Amino acid sequence: MIKSKVAIVYAKNALNAENLPDPRVVLRMIRKGLELLAGSPATAEDYILSLLAPGSNLGLKINTIARRALSTLPETAVAIGLWLGKTLGQEGRVIIWDRTNEELKETGYKLSTSPDSLRIFGTDNRGVGYQREPVIHRNIGSLFSRIQAELVNYSISLAILKDHGLAGVTAGLKNYFGAIHNPNKYHDSHCDPFVAELFDCPLIKEKHRLTIIDALKVQYHRGPSYHPQWAEKAQKFILSQDPVAADVIGWKLIEELRTRKGLPSLKEEGREPSYLFTAEKLGLGQAKLENIEVLEEEV
Amino acid sequence: MGSEINRRDFLKCSLLGSSLLLTGKTLVSNWPLTSSPSLSEGADLSWVEARYYEKLPDREIKCLLCPRFCQLGDKERGYCGVRENKGGRYYTLVYGKVASLNVDPIEKKPFFHFLPGSPAFSLATAGCNLSCRFCQNWEISQMRPEQVRNINLPPEAVVTTAENQGCPVIAYTYSEPVIFYEYMYDTSLIARRKGLKNVVVSAGYINPQPLADLLKVVEAVKIDLKAFNQDFYHQYVRGELQPVLETLKQIARSPVWLEIVYLVIPTLNDHPEEIRKMCRWLKTEIGPDYPLHFSRFHPMYLIKNLPPTPVSTLEKLRQIALEEGLHYVYVGNVPGHPGENTYCPNCGKLIIERYGYAINKIEISKGKCRYCGQKIAGVWS
Repeated sequence: MIKSKVAIVYAKNALNAENLPDPRVVLRMIRKGLELLAGSPATAEDYILSLLAPGSNLGLKINTIARRALSTLPETAVAIGLWLGKTLGQEGRVIIWDRTNEELKETGYKLSTSPDSLRIFGTDNRGVGYQREPVIHRNIGSLFSRIQAELVNYSISLAILKDHGLAGVTAGLKNYFGAIHNPNKYHDSHCDPFVAELFDCPLIKEKHRLTIIDALKVQYHRGPSYHPQWAEKAQKFILSQDPVAADVIGWKLIEELRTRKGLPSLKEEGREPSYLFTAEKLGLGQAKLENIEVLEEEV
Repeated sequence: MGSEINRRDFLKCSLLGSSLLLTGKTLVSNWPLTSSPSLSEGADLSWVEARYYEKLPDREIKCLLCPRFCQLGDKERGYCGVRENKGGRYYTLVYGKVASLNVDPIEKKPFFHFLPGSPAFSLATAGCNLSCRFCQNWEISQMRPEQVRNINLPPEAVVTTAENQGCPVIAYTYSEPVIFYEYMYDTSLIARRKGLKNVVVSAGYINPQPLADLLKVVEAVKIDLKAFNQDFYHQYVRGELQPVLETLKQIARSPVWLEIVYLVIPTLNDHPEEIRKMCRWLKTEIGPDYPLHFSRFHPMYLIKNLPPTPVSTLEKLRQIALEEGLHYVYVGNVPGHPGENTYCPNCGKLIIERYGYAINKIEISKGKCRYCGQKIAGVWS
């Protein structure tokens, strides 16, 4: 069996003195992660272009639910978005998006819909919204954001890594809950099988190309709300083409932090993210550590 | 707020649209209040503190309104999508935020034994605490308030407008009134003071204490019993059967009038033996006098692969219920069917003749059958 590659990149100065991401360091970390996934001698740009067809539109689905306290911050997403736009040959081909303009603005994003520059807006932006007919797939019945469904050809989940009281862990897969109109309906049974089955919908599975997990600041306990006493300055990014393997490594990081802080494991708390094993059963990626090759580097 | 209609516009529209109002159609024909599933940017939410919740450490809360008991951290929403924890306080976001508004005949709810022929001023907000895959109103019930068009209509304005439209009844309906509990409760109090009646159309997924409080301010409740089978509730409703049965018993013990609707979905909840079991339970636990409506299913929302319920199935289930001793059993969503009519349980004569939502004749006087004097259960005046 070919193992799934997951890159972990650490930088001790990823967060500045104000605990905000340094965009230059962030970009170095992302490029390094992509190079690790690509294998020498390919560049990060080569790797990205191998994933995305020329002339395509790319969505960067971020998570801004916790606003400035614990979200994909603009210092991170805009740096990555601008670089991706340059790599694709046109900034406006990249859309940074989440559920609402309000959440984006409160997280510090400056909205833009101009096709000449990096586009940043929410599903509730005028003229966008949700599709009118629900997608029915296994246990999922949801309206999809028109950004995910119609405006982008490819998708990157640029997620935040957090402990989650119900799901166990929220990272790259669960980030797509923000692409549908009714995520509140999918939190029963530790979000299992819903997280996996949502990702398995063709509108996500066929467009998703890469997971980038922002683990600069990790909420390892009592998430997904922000509690500074249980948030660790980890200063890492986790990248993979395998969306399940990426989340499994994120989960492992959370467990390591919990162990270090003397907290019980998620399994001991009865809330391990079982949806990852469901995702593996659906053929979405590797959930077992022995099937994952971790490539770790510091920049 | 480009897509929101304010109260002044609404009241203006309601005056202009009064002829439409009494036909049971949407208030203003070119005003799609039953909303499109696009968000309205920066939607105006109500942020009125919820009444049934418990504060927990670290700004968490536990909702006590329904059997889900959602436990939520800061900025998280409940399963219903219309209640949010903000900084350790829990809020309803839909107080006065009406997403659907019509004047319907009360028979449409359906209430067949409660002020027949009355126009009911009917309203709903977005949201629901269940997820029925066959929901007939999913375009509001399965939405968050930001995802539908809302009008601001405070409780006083609901009552005033209902009065102006000549409606003796206000119906909390369409989505799930439990999730707009505070709004419904406050409106009901004002309506009652003005002599209007309040009726609730619900799936009955509510905790005993809020239900007990609600039963003090409303006059009738219709409960959608989705099946008599926990597996069905789990798979197709995403809820539990037992709390709904407890709700039925609690209402039956109160002075509030009760009717029950059972939407019959081919192959999923139409097994005769299960229906027989349900009817026995109803007769034993709540008595034979509360009407039971077997309604016809039409393919909708996430169940589009099944045909409409055969009329013969509805007739068969109605027959079972009558055999089991229930006094008032109806066939719903089949206009012109004799099972829409009310028959005296004593002499068997036709005492209310209906066609769809229209009443053709009533042979009840002072709550009794005109032919034999049998008391007919219900609220007739």
